[in-house]
Amino acid sequence: MEVKLDKRYPLDVDAVRAWTLLADVPATAGCMPGAAITEKIDDTHYKGSVKVKVGPANAAFAGDIEVLALDELHQTLQLLGKGSDRGGSSASMKLTATIEAGETAGTSVLAGQAEVIVNGKFAQFGGRLMVQVSDMLLGQFVDNFRVAAAALPAPQASAAAATAIGAAAAAEPAAVAPAKPNEINALAVFWHLVKGWVAGLFGKRA
Amino acid sequence: MNAPINPDLLERAAALQGMGDSRLRKEDARFIQGKGHYVDDIQMPGMLHMDIVRSPVAHARIRKIDKSEALKVPGVIAVLTADDLKPLKLHWMPTLAGDVQAVLADEKVHFQMQEVAVVIAEDRYAAADGVEAVIVEYDELPVVLDPYAALAPDAPVLREDLAGKTEGVHGKRDHPNHIFTWEAGDKAAADAAFDAAPVKVAERIFYPRVHPCPLETCGCVASFDPIRGELTTWMTSQAPHVVRTVVSLLSGIPESKVRIVSPDIGGGFGNKVGVYPGYVCAIVASIVLGKPVKWIEDRIENISSTAFARDYHMDGEIAATQDGRILGLRVNVVADHGAFDACADPTKYPAGMFHICSGSYDIPAAWCSVKGVYTNKAPGGVAYRCSFRVTEAVYVIERMVDILAQQLGMDKAEIRAKNFIRKEQFPYTSAFGFEYDSGDYQTALDKVLAACDYRGLRAEQAVRRADPASPTLMGIGLVAFTEVVGAGPSKMCDILGVGMFDSCEIRIHPTGSAIARMGTITQGQGHQTTYAQIIATELGIPSEVIQVEEGDTSTAPYGLGTYGSRSTPVAGAAIAMASRKIHAKARKIAAHLLEVGENDLDWEIDRFKVKGDDARFKSMKDIAWAAYHQAPPGLEPGLEAVHYYDPPNFTFPFGIYLCVVDIDRGTGETKVRRFYALDDCGTRINPMIIEGQIHGGLTEGYAVAMGQQMPFDAQGNLLGNTLMDYFLPTAVETPKWETDHTVTPSPHHPLGAKGVAESPHVGSIPTFTSAVVDAFAHLGVRHMVMPHSAYRVWQQLKESGVAL
Repeated sequence: MEVKLDKRYPLDVDAVRAWTLLADVPATAGCMPGAAITEKIDDTHYKGSVKVKVGPANAAFAGDIEVLALDELHQTLQLLGKGSDRGGSSASMKLTATIEAGETAGTSVLAGQAEVIVNGKFAQFGGRLMVQVSDMLLGQFVDNFRVAAAALPAPQASAAAATAIGAAAAAEPAAVAPAKPNEINALAVFWHLVKGWVAGLFGKRA
Repeated sequence: MNAPINPDLLERAAALQGMGDSRLRKEDARFIQGKGHYVDDIQMPGMLHMDIVRSPVAHARIRKIDKSEALKVPGVIAVLTADDLKPLKLHWMPTLAGDVQAVLADEKVHFQMQEVAVVIAEDRYAAADGVEAVIVEYDELPVVLDPYAALAPDAPVLREDLAGKTEGVHGKRDHPNHIFTWEAGDKAAADAAFDAAPVKVAERIFYPRVHPCPLETCGCVASFDPIRGELTTWMTSQAPHVVRTVVSLLSGIPESKVRIVSPDIGGGFGNKVGVYPGYVCAIVASIVLGKPVKWIEDRIENISSTAFARDYHMDGEIAATQDGRILGLRVNVVADHGAFDACADPTKYPAGMFHICSGSYDIPAAWCSVKGVYTNKAPGGVAYRCSFRVTEAVYVIERMVDILAQQLGMDKAEIRAKNFIRKEQFPYTSAFGFEYDSGDYQTALDKVLAACDYRGLRAEQAVRRADPASPTLMGIGLVAFTEVVGAGPSKMCDILGVGMFDSCEIRIHPTGSAIARMGTITQGQGHQTTYAQIIATELGIPSEVIQVEEGDTSTAPYGLGTYGSRSTPVAGAAIAMASRKIHAKARKIAAHLLEVGENDLDWEIDRFKVKGDDARFKSMKDIAWAAYHQAPPGLEPGLEAVHYYDPPNFTFPFGIYLCVVDIDRGTGETKVRRFYALDDCGTRINPMIIEGQIHGGLTEGYAVAMGQQMPFDAQGNLLGNTLMDYFLPTAVETPKWETDHTVTPSPHHPLGAKGVAESPHVGSIPTFTSAVVDAFAHLGVRHMVMPHSAYRVWQQLKESGVAL
């Protein structure tokens, strides 16, 4: 089954830091709940894994990530991820993410389009939840991304400030990625769905 | 004047519990106590367990299969792939339809959940862990799910193994994804009828893919004894003898050393006719490892990969006069067979008995064409509750007759009556060449219309339609179906070259009890009960002391099995004929014992008596004893017979079904207010069992019409393969059924019986559609595609502008 996502998330981080993080593929991947880069093959090829648990569908995808484009000028990253799970599912995702300047200074927008195709048991069990789960996943990703980007040294910050933040952290941006659950929390997904459902009942946007 | 009824005779007849008796089912005592013995109940010392690695994608090239991790899993004994089966030439196997099917995917997968590898382990858990550890890399290919798209000139080629093969088993293939085109009837005559006719109707009638979903899934325990060189396999099979032949041919083990046993089977409905890769792999594993191997499918595997039903896209056309007399019929079908052609039709009929599509009507000119097509879906087409495409045929003709009536503004009952084959026309040869044995459609129709007060219903409907505030739409469905069952005469029907006869062997023991062994196999039909009743009536032995055994190829005579409502028409006749052989011998023995000529004896219920002298008789019990120690000189001792019955023709059961529905204009929920089913299956052997069969068939018909579906997404993921999604009606959803009958015996069957199990399924599905569409008929709706679930009906309510 195929899900197409087209989302814009405002960030309270300036575009420079946001792009710095986005361009760092392992660090960006690390913001995805349950995801990790496990091996770097070359600058554009990585191996990675994602763990997802939705109700009865429990998948641990392992696969390849290819950076199709890293466009400094337009601050755009294009990725193709393909993986399979041992329980009889497979998935692929084509992602285009762009950092745009925000409306006010010191803010930016993360714009992303993704085409996700899921096959096998995960599609069959989890299919009806795919859109909601994807929404929630991306929501968590953006939260993590924002925190990680904010932890980067500010571009106009004084040298003193940069020192204060800590040279080690600046040198290893991925290392300051916030603590996060190592897989998607099924209860949180459930709660998210219930909230959406209740909101829907009262005519609000889910 | 009839002679006065003799109470003694009645009592003796009743004691036999013979034909016509609603004898309680002998099978139920064990089933209701949980004492049935199914394949999964079999445990053997040292038995290993098999599980299957299946493809998550619908169409792909297999780049690599890595089994090294799986072999490290504790308890895993072996992992087999197509490469391991190649040296044995078992990576592909023949299907019952003359095609080949991959046992384990060979370089390519053709449908989601296709078998890619098997893991054999010491226990079921280790096997499952092993399956997760097998790493398969796929290069995905474009997926083709629509049979029309599959026939496009530039469509991806699905079956590369058939490359360049322009001649299939059933004639020319004009496209790589084309399997066969089969035609019946007279095209020129039909075209001429259409050219001249003043009224024509045409409609695309799609019958979606469904699955019978029997309570018990498929499975087997294969046990090869390397010392004796004997293979015994317990298997969920509706046709164990055919399986034995196939296994012997594939394995090279002499057929005498192959034993297939079908124990208790938890429902088949055609799903358990075919030979599945799981069976083959378990057998191979047992031969290779020298140990028993058990394989039991789970529910998802069953729905996803074993025999589906239907998937027929039917373009129906009727030509008629202004006053509703049908002049011609044309039906053009595109049949989605999935990735391999694994139907189980008689060799000459790749679309089964689809040419029964002229139905109960006297249609002078008719033609049909069925084009089989490969797609990236699971193979099958054998199921369900009708192996031979009669369901599809009845659906298309009944829908088209409704549409014609609507076009002409005629009543559904009136147009049917006008076109019926009349009682005096039987035996009737249809435009497709079937010779209908017997029928009396008008009497049956009149009975149903009177029982349901059809006019009253139409009057009520008119009032409701006139009331814009009515919270419901009322629909009346009516169907007059004719089935063709009892396959079949070997001059027309064979499977893999074996004629479709069936068989019975009866032995009468010295003390007067008996055992009958049959080539069929019950899956819930109650054979152990009804077969005994036939013998009881034929031979005067109480049903209670007659054992019926089926399903073990080492003891039962060769038969083609149970599907297509063939057990009573074919095996039932074999029982009668074998009984009559015994009866003839018993007469000789009785004459000897009574010291009279054979012609001086009369048969009376349970005894031969000397004509005119009620006191001088020998009961069948006396005769049985004598057969073993004082047989007449020159007559061999014993009292037994075998009969292989090759039917002279099919049988043609029929019925008239009426359904009233009320559709909630707010929710689209369809409530079945009334369902009246009149069946005529000829002579009735056990009315209670017939009733039960009809209830079951109607319930499954309700399931298909109102909720079952196998939806695929664009990638070929089957989105309805769990019972979370797939609709199985329980007592909660199931409507109340009213049943009725007429009796029009088959003139060519020894008992006059025609078979009944499929009729309620075949007949009820178009009745539900007829009723639902009828609720919208005044709004100009002519046809709606099944299933008529609340959501889909609600969409129609919206479209017709009548939703509340």
